[in-house]
Amino acid sequence: MAEEKRIGLSLAETLRIAWKAIAANPLRSALTALGVIIGVAAVVALTMVGQGTTRNVTQLLEGLGTNLLTVGPAQGNRGPGGGLVRAGGPETIPLSDAYAIQEAFAEEVVGVAPVAQGRFQIRSGSTNFQATVVGTWPDFAKVRNAEPEKGSFFTWDDVTAKRRVAVLGYGVAEDLFGTDDPLGQRIRINGIPFTVVGVLPDKGDQGFVSTNYQVFVPLSTYLQRLARPEAGEAKVNTIYLQGASRDRLKDLQERLTRFLAERHGLTDPNDYDFSVANQQDALESVNATTRTLTLFLGGVAAISLLVGGIGIMNIMLVSVTERTREIGVRKALGARPRDILAQFLAESVVLSVGGGTLGVVLGLGLAGAVGRALTVTPVFSPGSAVVAFFFAVLVGIFFDLYPAWRAARLDPVEALRYE
Amino acid sequence: MLLALKGIRKVYRMGDVAFPALKGVDLEVEEGEMLAIMGPSGSGKSTLLHILGLLDRPTEGEYVLMNRPTSRLAEDERAFLRNRFIGFVFQAFFLLPRLSALENVEVPLAYAGVPPGTRRRRALELLERVGLLEKANNLPNQLSGGQRQRVAIARALALNPPLLLADEPTGALDTRTGEEVLALFQALNREGTTVVIVTHEPHVAEKTNRIVRVLDGEIVADERRRHG
Repeated sequence: MAEEKRIGLSLAETLRIAWKAIAANPLRSALTALGVIIGVAAVVALTMVGQGTTRNVTQLLEGLGTNLLTVGPAQGNRGPGGGLVRAGGPETIPLSDAYAIQEAFAEEVVGVAPVAQGRFQIRSGSTNFQATVVGTWPDFAKVRNAEPEKGSFFTWDDVTAKRRVAVLGYGVAEDLFGTDDPLGQRIRINGIPFTVVGVLPDKGDQGFVSTNYQVFVPLSTYLQRLARPEAGEAKVNTIYLQGASRDRLKDLQERLTRFLAERHGLTDPNDYDFSVANQQDALESVNATTRTLTLFLGGVAAISLLVGGIGIMNIMLVSVTERTREIGVRKALGARPRDILAQFLAESVVLSVGGGTLGVVLGLGLAGAVGRALTVTPVFSPGSAVVAFFFAVLVGIFFDLYPAWRAARLDPVEALRYE
Repeated sequence: MLLALKGIRKVYRMGDVAFPALKGVDLEVEEGEMLAIMGPSGSGKSTLLHILGLLDRPTEGEYVLMNRPTSRLAEDERAFLRNRFIGFVFQAFFLLPRLSALENVEVPLAYAGVPPGTRRRRALELLERVGLLEKANNLPNQLSGGQRQRVAIARALALNPPLLLADEPTGALDTRTGEEVLALFQALNREGTTVVIVTHEPHVAEKTNRIVRVLDGEIVADERRRHG
């Protein structure tokens, strides 16, 4: 039949009819959309906070220096962070290893900074408190990304002469001198006078790697005057190394491990009294953890979205039953099954598009609030918002397929007879 | 010939029980006729109307509407025929409650793909024809029963269908408004529309020029007469 090829209702018209049906029942429509709104908001907020956390951790770790390798105590003795971020623990690495590495890997290592540290009394005038004092080499500034913002780091000259000079973390300088210029001032560490030669920039109070409450002195001075005097050769907690190339860091890590094992006369990796950690490994493991957590939470949120979809299906089934008469009348007036199908699908599309949009907006607000509470800056990724939005619309359409199909195939006579 | 029913049977099945609603009905209706289908309730007259209106399919037999056999038509094609060739007027009006009088009249035009501007003009014309132009923007619940039925008639006439089917059109109206509605049908019939009215009221049937009496699923009488 040639006349059969007619267009029927336009899309705009179908949407208008859908909107009318939705507006006729505002409370019910709002409650139906609420499932989608909450689901989308949860997905958006959780991914934003998750990505914010990942970025925070990444920035923290990258703030430690680039292409960083850490020689620390053996695996079993290491604290959280794989020895990379916390250099506590026993002093087990012979200082001579640092010299040996400097010599043997001169081509591939651009900086070596052995570190020995402890908590000591810091005093200036009437102010005094405990802080971590780090004895190290001048390379530390470069290797650990700790260039002073005022003054300068101490030099090799200071190390060889065992001078009593100190570089202060931002927080220490502020607590000791307030707004006064700390450069050239005198402080006492464990009662021993030091001269301030540099102050580090503010690295933030958050995070376990901030240098704000640390004081840096030449390693030689530290070992001689501050470390508990011990018999035998000088030992340090950690040696930090900066590799020349990012690509070959893994390779350098392996060769360094073999080199140290040989030096320590060890053959079985289980007996190694040291370990070499790679910044990249730490970064990846932290990222993998946050990614897993984000995925997990996102998955939970997605399930709530699915539940929202079931809510839509429930309401649409009720709506089809309630509007049996309307469907019958429309069919009598010439609506084809596909017209009825489109009409009911349009309703859930309008609901889920509206719900999805509100959900994204709500998610942004929620991410902001959660971010403030957790002191994480949420990262807005348009990708995940778009995915959550379209997932919501898909869920809406999918769960409305069955109710709409039922409406479309209603027998007009049954529908008109329906009371 | 406008339509022909040939050996129409309709059997309703309720589980194991089969109930024959129509037991072999033959009927021919010429263009321009105005006929009443009469019978007590349960006689099968409503089923007959539903089959004439392509709302229901016969179990057996052939229904030819405007030279088209309809038994093998797909649902979309039946929807098309309902849209273009048949206007329905129901006892309970069946206006869409959320739509204004004007929008109700526009519904069949919309399904026919008539563009909005033309549609609106045509719907206003029709409302004027049934004397409800000033009520165009009223919702059905703001109209009296007689006014609702006139909107429903305007809607039935939207696409100028050759066949108008009315199921107890005066059943929910008082006598005076009932008379007005029947007068409207008569006027339409004079203009050439074929009108089929299902009723059990003799005074309604009197307005037509042919009365088909149905009893127990069969046509028991077919009286033609000159309309007085």
